[in-house]
Amino acid sequence: MEHVDFLVIGGGAAGLSAALGAAEAGRSVLLCERGTLLGGILNQCLHEGFGRALFGEDLTGPEFAARLIPALQNSSAQVLTQTSVLSLSPDQTALLSGRAGLRRIRFDRCILAAGCREKTFASLGIAGTRPAGIFTAGTAQKLVNLGGHSVGDRILILGSGDIGQIMARHFVESGRAVVALLEQADHVGGMARNRRECLEAYRIPVLLRTTVDEILGTGRIRGVTARNLDTGRRWEISCDTLVTALGLLPDQTLCRSLLVKGQLPSWLRLSGNCESVHDIVDSVVREAYALGAASW
Amino acid sequence: MRHTDVAVIGAGVLGCFAARALSALNLHITVLEQREDVCTGVTRANTGIIYSGYDNHPGSLKARLCARANASFDRLCEELDIRFSRCGSLMVAFGPHAEAVLEQKLENGLASGVAGLRIVEGDELFALEPNLSHAATRGLFAPGTGVVNPWELGIAAYENAAANGVEFRFCERLLRMERSEGGFLLETEQEVYRAKIVINCAGLSADAVREMLCLPTVRIFPTGADYLVLDDTVQGFFQHVIFHEPEEKGKGLTLVPTVDGNLLVGPTERGRDLAPDGATAASGLRWLTELCAKVAPSLPLSEQIRSFSALRPNPRTVREEGGVWVPEDRSINDFTLYQDNGLISLLGIKTPGLTCAAELGRLCAEFTAETLGFPGNNPRFHPNRRGVRRLHGMDEAQRAALVREDPNYGDILCVCRDVSRGEILEAIRRGAVTLDGVKRRTGAGMGRCQGARCLSDVLELLARAQRIPPEAVTLDGEGSPVLGAKYGTC
Repeated sequence: MEHVDFLVIGGGAAGLSAALGAAEAGRSVLLCERGTLLGGILNQCLHEGFGRALFGEDLTGPEFAARLIPALQNSSAQVLTQTSVLSLSPDQTALLSGRAGLRRIRFDRCILAAGCREKTFASLGIAGTRPAGIFTAGTAQKLVNLGGHSVGDRILILGSGDIGQIMARHFVESGRAVVALLEQADHVGGMARNRRECLEAYRIPVLLRTTVDEILGTGRIRGVTARNLDTGRRWEISCDTLVTALGLLPDQTLCRSLLVKGQLPSWLRLSGNCESVHDIVDSVVREAYALGAASW
Repeated sequence: MRHTDVAVIGAGVLGCFAARALSALNLHITVLEQREDVCTGVTRANTGIIYSGYDNHPGSLKARLCARANASFDRLCEELDIRFSRCGSLMVAFGPHAEAVLEQKLENGLASGVAGLRIVEGDELFALEPNLSHAATRGLFAPGTGVVNPWELGIAAYENAAANGVEFRFCERLLRMERSEGGFLLETEQEVYRAKIVINCAGLSADAVREMLCLPTVRIFPTGADYLVLDDTVQGFFQHVIFHEPEEKGKGLTLVPTVDGNLLVGPTERGRDLAPDGATAASGLRWLTELCAKVAPSLPLSEQIRSFSALRPNPRTVREEGGVWVPEDRSINDFTLYQDNGLISLLGIKTPGLTCAAELGRLCAEFTAETLGFPGNNPRFHPNRRGVRRLHGMDEAQRAALVREDPNYGDILCVCRDVSRGEILEAIRRGAVTLDGVKRRTGAGMGRCQGARCLSDVLELLARAQRIPPEAVTLDGEGSPVLGAKYGTC
């Protein structure tokens, strides 16, 4: 069975940096990325604002990724794209699936850098129909920025996560209407920069203490019944698309079966947003590189 | 005009099984389905429980068919190559009223020949289900109860019937039907058909289809029902299907460990006065959550990944009052099958309709053979069908072999459900034309991210396979486009 010192799972900012850190520390490294491209979510982030801390520049996501990828490719690390890690076993082996086949790898250390998934609207248990036209902000971003698609024309945003705010700006810039952004808290979430540059600069109508009570429309969504949490007032908001920015959940699925009394085995570490949600990618890169280079 | 021996109206689980049973006969069979795919109506939302038959009055059609269907379900699932978990069920009581109901069901079951039924209590009850509320006093254990994925069952019957020569015609909504020259003329939006026999499996519209030729006797009054789905992280929380029999009047909670590893919670029973528009009701979801706290207080409801609603075809006898047909007060408990000179109608087939689908299909075929005279056997008929190959649950060697055969099986697109590009392509080859069609056949999009990560890939594959623009791909048929209008066109 093939053996590596470090197995890195995920080819986004964290995985790329952890793999580079480990490779530059003289270790044999295998990085597995399930998508076709390295860079992970950076690839769909066409807005600027990446790299201020790390490079002193204002880069787009793909530009930021382009600063990381060549270094890794020039290192001794082995990189497999379109390769999923199906399982991690307590005997420090991993089962890999790719177009070339299935293979089992033995490793000394593993860094899980699988990123986040988005909290879905479906999990909220909201009443009403189940029509087309409801997207998480990240899925909408992927469809728009990587697929070149449109998700709809009159868009309602639920939740004030950063990606939702960035998408609100994008929708307005591309000639779509953002009907409103609903937030159940008494303040808008996300980073101050996004509130200023995405919401305020584009005069996005923000309704605080407001949530969605019911989805309306068969086939495609035609609106929602909104509710003010303080007054209880309910009213209809018409839209043809609902984009949700409800927050990110670290995707630790792969290590779930390895937990012993809530503890990860000593050979496994989490990195980047898979460990905890980070505000900026620059700090992900720093931490992940250090984790890859360190002895543990 | 197209000629056929038998026209089946509707390609839900009942229409597909009627077609499959008929396909054993040497007849030309045409299934007319108004939608773009099978199993999009009543079948789309179902618990998937294969009932053992103790619920039904001994001697009723339901009791007879259910006991027979349950006993032969393993064979049916082997023939159709679908997953079947004979996990057993526990009907649980929390007090004397429900305990009496359990005794009654036990008697029913014994009279109907349901095997292995017994009352369990105390340590044995909690050994069977440690996570059941310890306030439970007694359970009726039915080892024969099972669970299938209802879509998988219906789609398997469809594929088998089609392979046996049945012609399925989609997007063919029936507009008119009349009797003509000892048979029937059926007009759809696309075509006119002449048929000798008509099998009406039109689900919620079955009454309207029958009334194209007959005076009303029974009409369908759909009632809504709500469900919650918990993530497969709760797999093993319950080993058996749990039927909670409430102390108070009304319906209890049902908890179903699905063949996909989720826990399905529901259905609710909504009042007849609540407009059944296919929408999930907030009150229903609240009710489910409240009952979970009583029946299974440690159940992690935070693992909820989806909620949805179903429409059930509730049949009620109607009478004429001043020119309009109004329902009688009592609803009908047994299956209602009508035979009107060559038209057979399956009207208001509720629980255990899924369990009995193959048996009901067999009745339709028997009726056809009696009416037309035995037409001989179909030389092309074969009861077996090969299922969509699912990577999830395969051992390493099987999985590796499949990837060697086709590299697409190595490329995982739905991370939550471990579904590969190969499986999705196969589902599309077999007839999936919508995102939901792919979901029903492969499970892609049914996990905790609910398609957030695989949607764009599945969308592209559907568009490419059908040679349509991505904007034309729908979630669930006409009027449900996934995307908005293309940039630059608005």
